[in-house]
Amino acid sequence: MEILDIKDLSFTYNEANSPTLKDISLSVNEGQFVVLCGATGSGKSTLLRLLKPQLSPYGKSTGTISFREKPIGECASAADIGFVTQRPEQQIVTDKVWHELAFGLENMGVKQQDTARRTAEMASYFGIEDKFDKSTAELSGGQKQLINLAAVMVTEPKLLILDEPTAQLDPITASEFINTVKKLNRDLSLTVIIAEHRLEEVIPICDNLVIIDKGRIIASGDPREVISRIYGNSGIMLGMPAAARISAYLGERDCALSVREGRELVRRFGNTETLPDNAVSTDNKKTVLEFRDVYFRYERALPDVLKGLSFTVTEGEIFCILGGNGSGKTTALGTAAGILKPYAGNILVFGKKLKEYKNQSLYRECLALMPQDIQTVFLRNTVREEMEDAGADISSLPYDLTPLLDMHPYDLSGGEQQLAALAKVLALKPRLLLLDEPTKGLDAASKDRIRKLMRELAHSGITIVAVTHDVEFAAECADRCALFFRGEIVSTAPPEEFFSANSFYTTAASRITRGHFERAVTAEKAAALCRLNGRRAGM
Amino acid sequence: MRGFEELNPAVLMTYYLCVIGTAMFCMDPVVIGISLAGACALFITLDGKRGARTHLSFFLLFLVMSLINPIWYHNGVTVLFVVNDSPITLEALAYGVCASAMIVSVLYRLRTFTMIISADKLLYVFGRLSPQLSLVLSMALRFVPLIRAQTTKVRSSQKALGIYRGDNIADTLKGEARIFSITATWALENGIITSDSMEARGYGEHRRTSFSVFRFTRGDALFLALCLVPSAVFIAAAATGEMSFTFYPAMSGISLTPLSAAGYASYGFLSLLPCILEWKEDIRWRYLISRI
Repeated sequence: MEILDIKDLSFTYNEANSPTLKDISLSVNEGQFVVLCGATGSGKSTLLRLLKPQLSPYGKSTGTISFREKPIGECASAADIGFVTQRPEQQIVTDKVWHELAFGLENMGVKQQDTARRTAEMASYFGIEDKFDKSTAELSGGQKQLINLAAVMVTEPKLLILDEPTAQLDPITASEFINTVKKLNRDLSLTVIIAEHRLEEVIPICDNLVIIDKGRIIASGDPREVISRIYGNSGIMLGMPAAARISAYLGERDCALSVREGRELVRRFGNTETLPDNAVSTDNKKTVLEFRDVYFRYERALPDVLKGLSFTVTEGEIFCILGGNGSGKTTALGTAAGILKPYAGNILVFGKKLKEYKNQSLYRECLALMPQDIQTVFLRNTVREEMEDAGADISSLPYDLTPLLDMHPYDLSGGEQQLAALAKVLALKPRLLLLDEPTKGLDAASKDRIRKLMRELAHSGITIVAVTHDVEFAAECADRCALFFRGEIVSTAPPEEFFSANSFYTTAASRITRGHFERAVTAEKAAALCRLNGRRAGM
Repeated sequence: MRGFEELNPAVLMTYYLCVIGTAMFCMDPVVIGISLAGACALFITLDGKRGARTHLSFFLLFLVMSLINPIWYHNGVTVLFVVNDSPITLEALAYGVCASAMIVSVLYRLRTFTMIISADKLLYVFGRLSPQLSLVLSMALRFVPLIRAQTTKVRSSQKALGIYRGDNIADTLKGEARIFSITATWALENGIITSDSMEARGYGEHRRTSFSVFRFTRGDALFLALCLVPSAVFIAAAATGEMSFTFYPAMSGISLTPLSAAGYASYGFLSLLPCILEWKEDIRWRYLISRI
């Protein structure tokens, strides 16, 4: 049964000259899992908001949207269409988990007893019974997003719309979230429309993949067919699953989607030739940052967060620290930047102990930290004022900030915020740059830009230490990777070695090529090896 | 039957209203003595042996307040001794002791009140008045710590960027002002997303109901009756004036008539009611364990 039917929809914002959406036509059947994909600013969010009457943006729209064979404006209740956006924190309304779950039902005027039953049912389905009495502020980002989903599901919607729901989550909680959505889709035949940057997991399970570019649908239908039609569109292909990217590089007619299909694909190629080893040696280089047996805890009664942490970073390298949630990665950066004080051990920056940097001299032409929550970097109303405050010379930047100068920093997209914040940081002329989750919430194209930028900075002699959850990103940009576990670094190696040694904490490309090619941790390398070796006879 | 803390918040609030409200207007040494004993016993029952510092500070407070009255007021016929030509009288001392005992007993009650009535219980009680009010309170309770956390985050980000250096006060002040202003902007930005999220979940579409996790059980009804009946008896006894005690000029004796005896007994019961409940639960639990 058709649940949603969009016909010739165009939409222009009130102040805009040109339409944001042009001639969108799309039909969705009940129980379908639809993935919407496109670059930032392609009109994905606008389209999704038009599907939720309570959130529809102001502007001029033509064409029709029907929900269950009626115009969507007449669809009476907010309960029928659930909507979850990308900011976990801001969507929460009340202070207690149980109140958050009950909120939608209270709005519907549901009686006490029914509310009690439905919130209880939802809490046990989502496995959050133990959190029921907790305060919402105590939850982690992933748990908050799960509560947001549960709070929407209590009103039993027929259609669930998710606008980049995992953008602010780390990969492990993101995949838990996606699995929950998948389970809802399968158990309840719930129709799901999801816009996502992290396509590795949603594409193999989706029924309908819709690609939006500059306000138009350029392809839609079965994911395999759609992807093989857009092989040439490198911007969009960047975000696709590793298996699909390998297929695209090789020009395969049948596009592989999952790791399993990817493995079948690469096995059709020989594996005698290997790529030259281009690992940079770190010998004879100056040490820039050194941790010597550093111990740190937040409060006396709490356990150690850093337990004898020791590592060194040499000049001009990009050092990526990976590790699970709460393993102490961000804390380690905080101690290196002098915000947190360890109770034992030494941290040396350019051979000098942190304590010896007096009067903030640590932050003058020496070290700078880009925090995880990028919004906290900005203090002023326009990017121009920010740059003036920091004394930044925007003409010397390797990218162009001029189109953004008159905007409020909060109005920029995630990628643009990173660039503006980086400009502010670079104005301090740091020789050591500490980055905390530089790719959080970014789409594939912005990630690629940040990666290239980091390379350029490293080339100009700036040493970069980045903490990240993003294994694909680390595999592509790092000189060395380190695994953080329980407050210390348990292994350090160049990415090829690092990711081929790990079996779970590794990239999709590495899982695809494992046992067939050695040291192929990125999709590009895997494809290059396939081409180098050539197709096996008869395959 | 549940323990005292697990009773319905509205019942708990009624209890506190009765036990504090009635005693506060009755300056009778017996009532005050019972009230202090009951309040202290409940605190010890709930808090265990940890409250030594509370007891000590309340005792010091009690001593100081008891002594203030005879030093300032010199009414009364029984002069104990004379200091700087001012007589210190027994009646004024007795009044001081009674008044400060009453204040300390109220302080003990308030201490147990804050231990038992958490923010969401208060919210539940006021939410009965209006679902809108309860939502606003719940949102406010969430928002205040959120803003505080954001301010801390912005401050440490700026520190690591070394932009507003702590070298001089003018710079620090300027930096703090900017942090304040951007946090306000951030709060407004957040407010928009939150209000979107509220609207997306149908806020304002229907007449709201107010859900709560607290139920009203037969145990609550029983407790409420056991709290209201003695209060009524006590108020009746006090209203007839049979329990009135005068300090000045000379102390009247404690009159023991059937009615005043009933008043004392019911206040005693009211005062010890939570303890009785707790002790009963404790004994029953031990009995159950011994049977296992």
